[in-house]
Amino acid sequence: MQKTTARDARDIKVLIVGAGPAGLACAIRLKRKLNAASRDDPVVVIDKAAKLGYHNLSGAVFETACLDELVPGWREEESSILKQMTRIERDELYYLTTRRAIRFPSFLVPEPMRHKGDYSVSVSRLVAWLGAIAEKEGVEVYPGFAASSLLMDSGQVRGVKLADLGLKPDGKPKTNFSAGETIFAPVTVLSDGSRGVLSRQFTETFSNAGNPQVYSIGVKQVVQLPHGNAFGDDRAVHTLGFPLKSDVFGGGFLYSMGNDLVAVGLILGLDWKYKDLNPQGELEILKSHPFIASLLDGGRVLSTGVKTIPEGGLYSLPQLFHNGAVLIGDAAGFVNMEKIKGLHNAVRSGIAAADAVFEAVLGDDFSKRTLQQYSRNLAANHVLKEMRRARNFRQVFRWGVYLGAPLSRVQRSIPFKMKIEKDFACTRRDFELNRSYDAGMMDKATFTSLSGTIHREDEPSHIRIKEPGLCRKCIDQFGVPPCVHLCPGQVYRLKDGEILLSPSNCMHDGSCAVKCPHQNISWNVPEGGEGPRYRQM
Amino acid sequence: MNYIVLVKQVPDVSKLIPPDAWDREKGTLRRGVLDNVLNPLDVQALTFACRMAETDERSRIACLTMGPPQAKEVLWDSLARGADEGVLLTDRAFAGADTIATSYTLAQGIRKIERDVFQGSRDYIIVTGMQSTDGDTAQVPPQIAEELGIEQVAYAQSFEFNHGLLRVTRIGPRGMETLVPDRFPILITTPVWSEPIYGSFHRARRARSTVLHEWDAKSLQVAADRIGLEGSRTQVYRIFSPSEMRDHECVFPKDMDELVELVEKKFRSQGAIAASAAEEAYCLDGKTPTRRGEVWVYIEQEEGVIQAVSLELLGEASKLAESLNQKVGAVLLGHGEEHLCDELIARGADKVYWADHPLLEDFLVSPHKKVVTELVLRHGPQVLLFGATPVGRELAPRVAYRTNSGLTADCTKLEIGDYLKGETRLVGILKQTRPALGGNIMATIMTRGSKCQMATVRPGVMRPRRADPARQGEIVWVKPDLREEDLHLKIASMKPLASRKSLADAEIIVSGGKGLGSRANFDDYVEPLAAALRRLLNARAEVGASRLAVEDGFRDHGHQVGQTGQTVQPKLYVAVGISGAVQHISGMQHSDTIVAINKDPNARIFSYAHFGVSQDFQAAVPALIEAVERRIACKKQPRAMLATSKS
Repeated sequence: MQKTTARDARDIKVLIVGAGPAGLACAIRLKRKLNAASRDDPVVVIDKAAKLGYHNLSGAVFETACLDELVPGWREEESSILKQMTRIERDELYYLTTRRAIRFPSFLVPEPMRHKGDYSVSVSRLVAWLGAIAEKEGVEVYPGFAASSLLMDSGQVRGVKLADLGLKPDGKPKTNFSAGETIFAPVTVLSDGSRGVLSRQFTETFSNAGNPQVYSIGVKQVVQLPHGNAFGDDRAVHTLGFPLKSDVFGGGFLYSMGNDLVAVGLILGLDWKYKDLNPQGELEILKSHPFIASLLDGGRVLSTGVKTIPEGGLYSLPQLFHNGAVLIGDAAGFVNMEKIKGLHNAVRSGIAAADAVFEAVLGDDFSKRTLQQYSRNLAANHVLKEMRRARNFRQVFRWGVYLGAPLSRVQRSIPFKMKIEKDFACTRRDFELNRSYDAGMMDKATFTSLSGTIHREDEPSHIRIKEPGLCRKCIDQFGVPPCVHLCPGQVYRLKDGEILLSPSNCMHDGSCAVKCPHQNISWNVPEGGEGPRYRQM
Repeated sequence: MNYIVLVKQVPDVSKLIPPDAWDREKGTLRRGVLDNVLNPLDVQALTFACRMAETDERSRIACLTMGPPQAKEVLWDSLARGADEGVLLTDRAFAGADTIATSYTLAQGIRKIERDVFQGSRDYIIVTGMQSTDGDTAQVPPQIAEELGIEQVAYAQSFEFNHGLLRVTRIGPRGMETLVPDRFPILITTPVWSEPIYGSFHRARRARSTVLHEWDAKSLQVAADRIGLEGSRTQVYRIFSPSEMRDHECVFPKDMDELVELVEKKFRSQGAIAASAAEEAYCLDGKTPTRRGEVWVYIEQEEGVIQAVSLELLGEASKLAESLNQKVGAVLLGHGEEHLCDELIARGADKVYWADHPLLEDFLVSPHKKVVTELVLRHGPQVLLFGATPVGRELAPRVAYRTNSGLTADCTKLEIGDYLKGETRLVGILKQTRPALGGNIMATIMTRGSKCQMATVRPGVMRPRRADPARQGEIVWVKPDLREEDLHLKIASMKPLASRKSLADAEIIVSGGKGLGSRANFDDYVEPLAAALRRLLNARAEVGASRLAVEDGFRDHGHQVGQTGQTVQPKLYVAVGISGAVQHISGMQHSDTIVAINKDPNARIFSYAHFGVSQDFQAAVPALIEAVERRIACKKQPRAMLATSKS
């Protein structure tokens, strides 16, 4: 029996799925325009995280100019996020050999890779701040609700269905079972991030992208340094080389976060060949490098996290709109790998979508014909221009760093679309790293724990092995399957010739599904409010 | 029927507390680092109320909370889960309240809901969780019931409405009781009884447009001297980290016999907490104490047997009374058990207050409360101790409220001391130390503004005195004035409960990890070790498991200890084949004694263990069991030898 209260909530006009920088930017921009036009159409944002920011992770060095467009005067606000940002004054790029660090002279660092004057920021905090602004504008923001499927009929997106709640591991209902609610809206904005479940459903249904999307995995820690540390509070350090082989795309970073905190992380292209590559372990090896170790001396790891980064670029962008839906942020893939930045494009894509949706609301027409204005807005506000400039950047690194790095300088002049292989197809069974880890290095269990991830233990696994026979085949091929090495959460374990799952360790990065050699992993959302708890990632 | 559910916003301490949450210098938790959540047991209470309300579609559920404006969040959460109205009591004057002042304020809120929301109808049921995770006292619900003059059904498990007649089944001290109230309102408190009800998205949306009632001190018509700090009867004296009390290195005994000896010694010499308190006894030294009166213990007896906790408290009371040059009083209630008086005297009582009445035979809180309250008011003891048992936790808050006394729940240490600060000179007062915030901090509390200092004390922490049949004492016969018609809650039926297996209240837990390798090894090693320790230490022993062991199917999830399982703090925790992942550590690190058996000498578990064995479990566990058996055998022998030598 569902009792009703005196005032029933009004029908939703715009539903935004995913409260990240893109989704919240879209909500803020749209609500402001609606308010200015004296319209009170309900704009609703939902997110699967328990609180705003908990599922948001980035490096992050941030080009803040996009916020001037979104929230004019934001720098002067009393509770401005600027107070939680750190301006980068010292920007350093190093090449690491096994023992040494060689600094690139500044003049050799390509312009897009320069970060001086940008700000380092915790995107978890940025999101919490954007959420507060959105609510102040009158946006309804509901964290803790996980959308598990897109409602579609006759070529039209109608809304979403939330995950079922209160199921036992065998799928039978418990006493508190509650069937997933449906939420209808004339237009749904998909901002559910990299590997987002709904945006993938959308793309699989409507898209015919040129290149497949390819990804990197980023593993990150926030380290508390002693007061008066040598690292300083205005510095961004990027590294190439150690511990990565030249045929692995990626690099390390260390950013000042203020209050003696440093973000340290490693980004690795998931197109690596090595069957036993363990990104969490690689980060530990990076941290053991004499130069990095000296920068982090006396530090204590406070929190950890992991995410995938869609880095295929322009040629991997899927269909961005359809009847009743638009795709923004990482869900679309607006990361500029040349700059190693995506936040500013996420915000700008949210703005571009909001402007198109606003016109759709005014005209009460949510067809793709109206929503295609979104594409034009993206072209106008530099997102696509920037993406075009970096269009073949990622592709050239398929040939390794030594060839890729010089080619990346001229990739803009490559007149055609360079093809790219899916990440999983790159793994080779005869490529092995055979790493050993020192006793002092952080293990996966601790890494998982510090992400704060939490799931109800007795719920059905949100990770499904499609065909167990394929896992056995994978074991025959690789010995230990790549998922076991890859997953920082130890979600996958090999025991007696079978893959065992620990879904409650999952940090929702989705890299396992990207890299599975047989594409045998299906990742759906668990109950709302679960997963990692990033407070300062 | 209508419902009022009490809800509270608490910091989420149920899982691992991040290292940066601690302000190590101040010994407090940093604000804002932990999430604020709706107290989990309040969700249980809300679920109970929603299930009851489903039986009658006219019923309304109002949820009530007290706190700063941001406490609205838990009202929205409650509305999303099924409540119809939200009431927030908010006023700076309410701040700093202890349980007595909180209970009074909330009771005034309930009275106003009755007037303004339920239009004067008294057909309502107040449902609350047993306790909050931050205060963890379980005192507020019984004290609200006391203020409102209504009955409380604690530990409710289920209900039944039959032709308008309500029957509530609860876990009573002696088994599952079915209780029937004969008037309303009543107050029901729930432990974890069911799967918690989820919030709904569409309800959550409606909640945001629901107008909440916000009431301040003025609109509640509260007496200024009964709210906030002013109305409180307890005061925090000191807060510190429990880690201050657990600075230890893991000891690796030379053989299994030594290990068993050490473990048994530590097990019997109380928890780590009390063991460290080998301080000098307090002495008045001619100073004039602030309070006068005897030191009392409420005696729990079940079918003519005095409960162990009461004997422990008598032992502790003797020490306290000695420091204060006072007598020890034992308060014994029942029907036909006067023979117990001699035993109480032998165990340390100087006076036994013995109340005999047929209505005191079963434990119902109302008659017991009435008798104890009258005794306190007549004889004016300065200390009254209860066991922190279901009985003590139900009775003590009501007696404290009725006599306007400060009460500290769940103490693990008691000491007499002075408090000299500025103008304030308190001499020979009771300092009461207890864990708070799920064991993450320790707080020392003192009573203020009341004659009697009351505390409930954890079972198994204090040490009983050896019985001395030669001790002399006085028996004071009490004639209680109790009438059947004063009882508004009747026990309709009772069925004894088979001892429930639960990790949470086991005194010994032997846990196995992934290192055991198979379910069969769990049966062959872990279970027998638990059984042997159970026999040696004569305490309830259960088997636990690490997350990986559960995932590998060695044991089911009900046995899982750790961040994603249960948090336990038994007196003895034995970890077999457990490496000590953080997830596991966070679930057991507050155990009094930790023994680790692991073949890897660098395993992290050893940094938390008191005693370690660095061997493969297949060698170590059988050897340990043998050593335990030897010890059991040799303990039987001397007594037998003594008997022969006497003859």
